[in-house]
Amino acid sequence: MPEVKKLSDGVFEVIKDKKQLATRNLDPGETVYGEKLIPVEGIEYRTWDPRRSKLGAMILKKFHIPLKENSKVLYLGAASGTTVSHVSDIVSEGAVYAVEFAPRSMRDLIGLASRRKNLHPILADAGKPDSYSHLVEPVDLIFQDVAQPNQAEIAARNAIRFLKKDGHLLLSIKARSIDTAANPREIFKEEVRKLEQAFEPGFEILNAKDLVPYQEDHLGVLAKFKK
Amino acid sequence: MKINTWFGVLETGRTGEILESRLLSKDIRVLALHSLSLRDSRSDLPPERFDPKAAALECGFVASSAEYYSLLHEVTLEAAKHQVSSALTPDQRIIQAVEALDDINETTNSLSERLSEWYGGYFPESGLGGEDLALFIVKYGSRENVGSEDPLHSKARASMGAKLEPADEALLIGFAESVCSLYERRRQIEVYIENSMELIAPNLKLIAGPMLGARLISLAGSLEKLAGFPSSTIQVIGASKALFKHLRSRAPSPKHGIIYSHPLINTAPWWVRGKIARAVASKLSLAARIDFYSGERDHSLPEKLETKVLQIKTLNPRPPQKKQESGAKLKKKRRK
Repeated sequence: MPEVKKLSDGVFEVIKDKKQLATRNLDPGETVYGEKLIPVEGIEYRTWDPRRSKLGAMILKKFHIPLKENSKVLYLGAASGTTVSHVSDIVSEGAVYAVEFAPRSMRDLIGLASRRKNLHPILADAGKPDSYSHLVEPVDLIFQDVAQPNQAEIAARNAIRFLKKDGHLLLSIKARSIDTAANPREIFKEEVRKLEQAFEPGFEILNAKDLVPYQEDHLGVLAKFKK
Repeated sequence: MKINTWFGVLETGRTGEILESRLLSKDIRVLALHSLSLRDSRSDLPPERFDPKAAALECGFVASSAEYYSLLHEVTLEAAKHQVSSALTPDQRIIQAVEALDDINETTNSLSERLSEWYGGYFPESGLGGEDLALFIVKYGSRENVGSEDPLHSKARASMGAKLEPADEALLIGFAESVCSLYERRRQIEVYIENSMELIAPNLKLIAGPMLGARLISLAGSLEKLAGFPSSTIQVIGASKALFKHLRSRAPSPKHGIIYSHPLINTAPWWVRGKIARAVASKLSLAARIDFYSGERDHSLPEKLETKVLQIKTLNPRPPQKKQESGAKLKKKRRK
């Protein structure tokens, strides 16, 4: 019988042969991207590959993930829904607003969302929060993984519009999409500075770590509004 | 204050209380289309941290939070489906066709190589290859069937090739038929691309030719993106590896990307190729913009390009003087 350890609300470590990150499958019997399903005492766990998911990598890098069963999440850069599916598992009684700009990825995301009631797909540009402000409620967490050169600015614009005063921002910064030539360390420093200072009231950085060995040239950032 | 939400228009007082509401019916399709119409609206946006769920409950649009989410779920799904289905624009179809063409080229080449290798054992003297060989095999099968009217008749008679057994012959004919149909498909796609380019990007077709134009659209991602690129970007589309090597280290900057296949560039002498590439790229970017924003045909573009190229050639009749022997040698190596 595999052993299950709870890491935080909705996030588990299942030990079967080896330690594996997992969430409880909200859509039993179905896999999303070829991950393994492990039933333990009548509950089905879905393994979560940190090499394919920046949020998964952040959890293994000991980031505090401020998510509860009923959390509301704005997910920017949902892509095909690999990570989104796990967030949907975690906030089983909450809501995920999944914003994605590419129609090709949206095709897969729609397939996923039609099987998960707490997932609301939005095809829009995350840099233009006005275009979906009529849909989204104030959220507890904004997770952003957009690979755009103005990532910090996008995060700020969305946070001002949708993030609750005590809500959190989780950000994955990809150095290569800001400047392919510069040193990633310098870019990370600059992006963190932007988050802290570029707008009112600015973010307080709670944690910032690279995601090695799971992701190359990525920085994970956890932040909230300055008091 | 007037507020647009996905379920209707609200009029709120100073403290955010709802004074008046014009709600839509709970028809998923109606709500989805309304939501899509609000995408580009700049007026009556909800204020920061506005809570549409609380408002929907307050004004009686839904009776419970569960009902709100279930309706929202259906509406966002419907809206997203609508957007996805309208995303397949004519330029996206061209991109699919270009990529299919590349796949077909690759497959046809390796299959016809296999065919010539295979059939070579039975008739090595044929001297045929590619589509000609495939057609030959479909027509005759074994070389023994080559009629006396065929120019290959005597070669087939005297061939040192092995005897083709009936079972092998059937296999080879089937294989050759597949290869023939791939060549056929390739022509069909080329015609399709040519016709589509004429419809959606006539100016680009005029300057670049249908295939190069279609490839540019494909690499850019869409005609809109191509129209948005500066001409310096168009000049090096397809040379990203060289470009990033140049940006990262001291490598020379690329002079041309896929526009190298343009006849004005690949027939030009090497010392003006960069200059001509720049001129061609600038006209390509103009053409893409005209195609995307007005769609009218501008016949003066190719003429202007010819003039410009001629001017470049007359101003630079001879290769530049070599500065240092060693430097010049290096340059030669890079060009290859």
